[in-house]
Parts: sequence; structure tokens; C-alpha cells
Amino acid sequence: MSRQPDFSTVPRPSRVPAFENVALVASVVALVLAGGATWRARDEARAARTRVDDLRREVAAVSTRVRALDARNRSGMPGLSAVDAEPARIVADVAAVLPGDARLERLSIDYAHGALELRVVARDASAWDRLLQRLERAPQFREIEPGPEVRDGEVRSVVRARWVGGAR
Amino acid sequence: MTRLGTRLYLALDASAVAVAALGEGLGGRRARAFARVPLDPGALVPSPSGPSLARGDEVRGAVRRALEGQGGGRVTLVLPDGLARIALFDLPRGAEPRDYVRFRLAASLPWPASEAIVDSLPAAHGRVVGAAVRRATVAEYEEVAAAVGLEVERVHLAPLLALEGLVRSGVRDAVHALLGDVALCLATFHGGALVALRNRRRDRSSGEASRLQEELARAASSAGNGSGPARVFVSGADATRLRREVGGTLAERGLEGPGEWDDAVEATWLGGLLS
Repeated sequence: MSRQPDFSTVPRPSRVPAFENVALVASVVALVLAGGATWRARDEARAARTRVDDLRREVAAVSTRVRALDARNRSGMPGLSAVDAEPARIVADVAAVLPGDARLERLSIDYAHGALELRVVARDASAWDRLLQRLERAPQFREIEPGPEVRDGEVRSVVRARWVGGAR
Repeated sequence: MTRLGTRLYLALDASAVAVAALGEGLGGRRARAFARVPLDPGALVPSPSGPSLARGDEVRGAVRRALEGQGGGRVTLVLPDGLARIALFDLPRGAEPRDYVRFRLAASLPWPASEAIVDSLPAAHGRVVGAAVRRATVAEYEEVAAAVGLEVERVHLAPLLALEGLVRSGVRDAVHALLGDVALCLATFHGGALVALRNRRRDRSSGEASRLQEELARAASSAGNGSGPARVFVSGADATRLRREVGGTLAERGLEGPGEWDDAVEATWLGGLLS
């Protein structure tokens, strides 16, 4: 605001109008709030950028895997190997072939080769046979190798197989 | 007390006392109230070197009536044209405006220079409008305000307020006649700048309109700078009457007060504040 002429006999210091005082205080408060908001927004933006970078990396990794699987499917290879499969899926496939009168005591998975080792207890010999039968018929399993049997009422044995998945 | 963000102006001239309340906000000034109380002839006679208040009680009474409903407190006092010596100066580079104006006006003042209160108004292009008014004269008007309970925050001159408005609004090539009750200013603008200023007392005897018309025609011809006469505007005290006297051919309507109040139209100082 430019200085106004004043012809007073006793000039007084220029009084800033009340509204300008209010506007000045409001401006300062707004400036401080805006500064704080800017600071917070900058931190949030930095965190968001980090999250986006992580997601980009994950997307890139998944895309690579999808491309690899597509290539595998096109070449006639099974869709998933044990390396790609989640343990839950292998366990689910094993559970699906277990008859009701047989139980799985231990399952070992060799992810590198898709090799499985199942320690099984069957209630009797016929349950054991049914288990082997279902394993052999299941397309997810190959190279079924029953181990030595211990028949003492129950049948305890170890079965080795290779999980190939991809039939779903 | 006046409302928050409102500035009160008290203007005195020979014919009337006027009070205006102006709201000052981010969107500019706006007139919130205006009151004008006429004075009987001779109650107030603006004089640069002698007393102005011939009948002080009448003037103080008129100020009280004008202030009714307007609140009080701090006020900007607006002195009438005819009190100050006013002139336009080219300011030398680096010169302090007030000192320079004092130096230039000192020799021409009809009172000792030591008694002068001097100030200036920036007029763009390195020029200032300088004004000097006698201290005792200002004090006389300040006492009127103090007598009715007002605190004088600032003292301004009516012609300077009007000129300030014209300068601020960037008037192109034109001659403006700003009439006070006892004096007038002839301001010539060229290319948006104030290039000439003449301040003289009015001769209100018969034929004033015709004389003024001739004077304005000369000024307009000069201001036209070879491209035909400049436009001429007349505003202020009696502008309507003078215009009527010469059959409406005097000049265009110039700086006017807010139209919400009929008696504010001729208040050029208020028009200057609001422009």
C-alpha cells in the first residue's frame, strides 16, 4: 500500500486497517499450514513412490514368470513344476488321492525336481492298494515308487512320486 | 465506533459538511454510508492564510448531524480546495518528494514557509503533485473534529483525493476540471499521465459557466497535442448547474461520488477514493 499524503498538525503512525491485520494473520497461518501440509505430502509422496517401485518390481517378476509359463505351455511341457507350485497346491493334490482309511504322516517335497516322499499309514492292505491305485491314476503324479511295507494290521510305508501338476 | 474494516471520512467545504463511511477490503473500497448537511453561506469560508470558520457553532452542529448514525472514533479529515498551494513537479532523480516540494513552494507561499505542512502525491512518470497548507489552518479544522469527539487519524485534501483517483484509474488524453466550492483544479492528462495542473480560486459571479467553458476549450486544444482537442470533463461542486447554464455543452460528466446517494454525486473527493 503506497503512503497516503497526510497534512495533520500531529502526524500519527500509519494505522494498518483492521481487515489488513486480520488478512495478514490469516495469511501467515495459511502459510504455516500450507508448509506443514507440503512437508507431510512430500513424505507421503516419497512413501508412495517406494510402494510403486516395489509393485513395479513384483509386476515385472510375475510378468516374467507368466511369459515363461506361456512358453512352456506352448512347447507342450506341463504347465507347472514343483518349483512354480505353491506347497498348498501339492498338499491338496496329495490329499485328493488319499482314501479315507489312509493317512499321511509326513510329506517331503524336493522343489528342484518335483520329487515327493509320502510317509503313509493305511488301515489295512486294501486301503494301501487303493492309495497306490489312485496315485497312479492321478495325472498330477508320475513315477510312483512304493517303498517297503510294514504290515502289522496297519500298513506303514513310504511312497515316492514326482508331482507334475498342470492337469487342472 | 465504526464497523470493523470501515474508515470514516469527514469533508468540509463552504456549502456543506459530508461524512462517508467506506468499507476497505480485499476487493477495494466501497461506500457503506454517506451523509451531507448543507451549511448556510458564510458559515465556513475556506481561506489559505486566514481563519475559515466564520461561524464555528454552525459548522460543528452540521458535523454532529452528519455523523448521526455513522458512529465516531477515528476519522480522516478532508480539507476543501482553496486552502493549499498545489502544483505539479518533475521530481529530480533521488530527491525526497516532500523536501523538494517544500523547497519549490516555499517562495510562493503567502505565509512563512516554516508554518507550512507539506506533502506530495505520486503522479507517475517521475512527477508528484505537491501541496502546502498552513499549519494554523489545518489546526482550525482539526479542532472542529475534536470538538465533536472525533480523533483525527489523517488529514487529506479534497483535490488531492480526486487527483489520486484519476491518476490511479489511468486517464488517457483528457482535461478534468475538479470543482470545489471556492477553488478548482484543471488537470491535463496525456498518455495516461498527469502533465499539467492548475489550481485557482473560482469566480462564481455571473457568467462563470461561459468563462470556464472558454478556459476548458483552450486547455483541451493544448492537451490535444495537434490531434484535435482532448476530451473535457467537469465534476464537483455546481458542475450540474454550470453544465445547465451553457446548455449542456460545457463538458462531459467526470469524477462523481456513488450514485446511491443523490447528494454524493458532486463529491469528487469521494469519487476519487472509490475509483
